[in-house]
Amino acid sequence: MKRFFLLLLAGILLLTLQTTWLSSFPVQRIRPDLLLIFTLYLAFLFPPTLGGILAFFMGYLMDLFSGNTFGFYAFSRTLVFFVAQFLKERFYLEGFSFQCLFAFIFTLLEGGLILMLINALESIPVGNLYSSLFTFLLPQSFLTGLVSPLLFFFFQKAGSLLFRQPEQGINARG
Amino acid sequence: MRVRDFFLFRRYSLFIFIILLLLFALVLMSLRAQQRKGVEFFDALLMEICSPLQKTFTLVIKTAQETFQKYIFLVNLDKENRMLKQRIAELQEETTRAREVKLAFDRLRQLLQFREKNSPSMIGAEVIGQDPSSWFKSVTIDKGERDGVKKGMAVISPAGVIGQVLKTAPHYTTVLLITDYNSAVDSIVQRTRAKAIVEGKGENRCQLKYLLRTEEVAVGDVVVTSGLAGNFPKGLMVGEIKKVDKKGHGVFQYAELAPSVDLAKLEEVFVIMEPIPTPVHPQEEKAKKGKKIKK
Repeated sequence: MKRFFLLLLAGILLLTLQTTWLSSFPVQRIRPDLLLIFTLYLAFLFPPTLGGILAFFMGYLMDLFSGNTFGFYAFSRTLVFFVAQFLKERFYLEGFSFQCLFAFIFTLLEGGLILMLINALESIPVGNLYSSLFTFLLPQSFLTGLVSPLLFFFFQKAGSLLFRQPEQGINARG
Repeated sequence: MRVRDFFLFRRYSLFIFIILLLLFALVLMSLRAQQRKGVEFFDALLMEICSPLQKTFTLVIKTAQETFQKYIFLVNLDKENRMLKQRIAELQEETTRAREVKLAFDRLRQLLQFREKNSPSMIGAEVIGQDPSSWFKSVTIDKGERDGVKKGMAVISPAGVIGQVLKTAPHYTTVLLITDYNSAVDSIVQRTRAKAIVEGKGENRCQLKYLLRTEEVAVGDVVVTSGLAGNFPKGLMVGEIKKVDKKGHGVFQYAELAPSVDLAKLEEVFVIMEPIPTPVHPQEEKAKKGKKIKK
């Protein structure tokens, strides 16, 4: 239980950083998605029940503070978590480049999913949104990928300090 | 048999959990889609927990940025010129502070004048956070239900329309900006009085929908609120037309406008608590007078 609340608090802090500090930069729209990286970290190191519920909460928080009226992120983040859990034992995920690539692909895939959901539920012409793919989704995915190894390292260090457990590689079973 | 069932359940329990969690997220989405609202109590509770953090972070960031801006250029001073440069720095700091005070004073005076001129039933609020996602456009402000803010209320600034209230918590509110895809404001082109709906287009741009092809609009035309629908009073500036396209077929033409407010740099906003009495446009006033004379 203590673990759950500490991780939830960490998620809230990351959301706060995303909505305040990262938004204060000049290129406001292109910023790394810290909560997505955190969700991937949860998928790598935590069991499906605890991590799944946390991923759902992370998505719920995203929905709460965004202009999104439907709650796309509660669904997409949970899905991202379970897909990442499924894939983590099938790929080699140690090392800078693999972690970058993994986060990059997941940001792109989630963007695509959100785009499809917006198109299906909000009746917005997709043409209006397609331009966003190149103007911000690709750069944002790239930035998220670039930042992810650093954050994974930081999360692992913080995790080993908080939960007093030996450090594990991200390929270790949760 | 029962023991076997139990083991089967244990075997598939993780799979069932995954399906249930995803289904729960989908049910939540469909509920929101039907009612256009979420689990209000839970939403409000989470907003109350998270928003004070946002407020504190915003304050810390602003202070850090100000300090950084003031002192970053003073780090690598030459030893020989230290005294002189220190004096310059002090003077610069004083000037900056005085300028900041003057700017804040001007801004607040402008806000006060705007409020007195338009309606006493507006409350000022500070922007404490931006939208965490990049697909949607919203901001969080530090006023909520306890201050009388309700869903759908108009949010403006002296420069023009900002958006409307989307979600409320006791002390905090999420405001949907006019540039969001879900936003729509009934408006008119000030010069030609052509009616249209201003819809968000994402990238700090809006588009004019249902603008008749027969209407004459040009780049540079100002678009204002019509006052016909929603809580926006008539005559508030929405933006300036940046692009007009009459190519293609159809009843309507395409026009794009840039909002009059810089939505990326929002600091203070006003929430309109009651509809403001609609100011009469000079042309309409003349027309009314003309009719009276004819009668």
